[in-house]
Amino acid sequence: MNGLAAALRRDLRWPWYLGAVILLLLLPLLLGTPYWRGILIVCAMNVLLAMSLNLVIGYTGQLNLGQSGFFAIGAYVTTVLLKSYGWNFWLACVAAVLAAGLVGLLLAAFAARLRGHYLGIASLGFAVIVYQILINWESVTKGVQGIYGIKPPPLSIPGYPDLNFGNQAALFYLVAGIALLVYLLLDNLLRSPIGETLRAIREDEISAASLGVNGAKWKAFSFSLSAAIAGLAGCFYPSFVGTLVPDAFNTVESFTMLAMVVVGGMGTMIGPVVGAIVLTFLPELLRGFGDLRLIVYGLALTLVVLFMPGGMVQAWQLLRVRVAKGKAEGSGGSAAAGS
Amino acid sequence: MTALLEANDLRKSFGGVKAVAGISLAVPENSIFAVIGPNGAGKSTMMNLLSGTYQPDSGTLMFGGRQLAGLPAHRRVRLGLARTFQKIRLFKQLSLLDNVLAGFHIHHRVPAWQYMLPGAAFWRDWRRCREEGLALLEFVGLAGQATQRAGALAYGQQRMLEIARAMATRPKLFMLDEPAAGLNAAEVAFLQQRLQDIRARGITVVVVEHNMELVMKVADHVFVMDHGEFLFEGPPKAVQSNPKVIEAYLGGEFDSGALA
Repeated sequence: MNGLAAALRRDLRWPWYLGAVILLLLLPLLLGTPYWRGILIVCAMNVLLAMSLNLVIGYTGQLNLGQSGFFAIGAYVTTVLLKSYGWNFWLACVAAVLAAGLVGLLLAAFAARLRGHYLGIASLGFAVIVYQILINWESVTKGVQGIYGIKPPPLSIPGYPDLNFGNQAALFYLVAGIALLVYLLLDNLLRSPIGETLRAIREDEISAASLGVNGAKWKAFSFSLSAAIAGLAGCFYPSFVGTLVPDAFNTVESFTMLAMVVVGGMGTMIGPVVGAIVLTFLPELLRGFGDLRLIVYGLALTLVVLFMPGGMVQAWQLLRVRVAKGKAEGSGGSAAAGS
Repeated sequence: MTALLEANDLRKSFGGVKAVAGISLAVPENSIFAVIGPNGAGKSTMMNLLSGTYQPDSGTLMFGGRQLAGLPAHRRVRLGLARTFQKIRLFKQLSLLDNVLAGFHIHHRVPAWQYMLPGAAFWRDWRRCREEGLALLEFVGLAGQATQRAGALAYGQQRMLEIARAMATRPKLFMLDEPAAGLNAAEVAFLQQRLQDIRARGITVVVVEHNMELVMKVADHVFVMDHGEFLFEGPPKAVQSNPKVIEAYLGGEFDSGALA
């Protein structure tokens, strides 16, 4: 193939996005019970969280075990501003996303000095600190007793009837729509020179510096954007559940997000989305196993990591290559050898 | 001839070991300047001091009239310094083209919002980088493998890819750390041609090298180090016949055949 033509080839993406929109519109109709619609909403939030973590771990190569902290900041800042200060929900969301992004810069300061496992421990420490603050700062967070009676976000546009996101289908459309928009913007970003820069840092930071890349600055960018997206997911969590307790942001949540990223395939856009969907629905589908459910879940995780080290997306790509090769060999495979 | 890069009494120690002990040198503009010396002479430390990977304990370092000491490596790239590494440091999981594209980091002129919502300026930049990137791959003889993974390349090709990637920063001064290490004779001949081509593009070349044959063929000026100190400098012919240089290399890996 002509080198320049190959280099200038652009993936045709809009049919995929169109398919995703249609699927998202159909999902609440296919899964009509309140129970399954609730799972759908949780799934959309998990997709946002997995994508946010993938930006830091998969594309920038920084081990971050503290993502649950940013999820918590998004949830609590929104709710406290809403309930205690009477803010408009959407304004509170903006504040929560900004707050999470700013705190992300703080964690990035660690990342400027720490590598690998050390950064992992430091970020885990961050999540523990956030969790402890939620429990102990009772005057603001109400501590372990939690905040109750959180109303779903309202949306009133002058001249139109008020939209009520208390309707689960509507809330799903809202969160899934935001997740799809975030996916599109992140996908564009990571295909741009900024994506090239982040991947360069992931591969070799000294080498990246030799090309003019300020590692500390771009890691701060990555952490901050990732934190803001996790915070955005957090905005919608309290109004969906109706209550807010610190236990929802236990550090275990960080590892669940990590599992979604790894199982799906880190460093790819679609991987964490697949991982989030699978790991949200799998425990539900395993309810038939009763108490064995969590063991089966754990076993499934182990097997995936063991046999698909690159995640489900890479396993799928390998399978496709193998099938293509098999076909080529079946039909007198010299053509494949020549390419 | 004016000096593009001027070091004055550079020093760097590692826990009591004086790796570079008071080196002064001046690299003339648009020359090929070779730094040689036996193993452990401090050549690589010198290279790391020039590129900013290390900061000197003392001494000054001027580049085109600007003080470099204290500037981190990534800032020096913006001034026009580029380098390759003795131990190859490619982005192994990325394609050849993506390796070179990362080298354009400091040359994108696109409104920030277009990185998320690409517009005309973004696509112009996108296309220009890919054209220029492929031209650089062609320059080092790798255009045909542009979409392959860098880690899958043969050793000599990896060295050439590192050169293409560093060239993408559009340097004024290009420093190569043992570019011929591990290359076969044909590859060394190709490298020699490329070094001369790079100079012909108006780029000043500093090359730290063990391969004397290459140094004698391409260098305008040779700077000899031993035990972190200055030993001798001059044109290749003078270096070849200098008794101090011959003595420093005797018993080392420098074979006397290359001196003859």
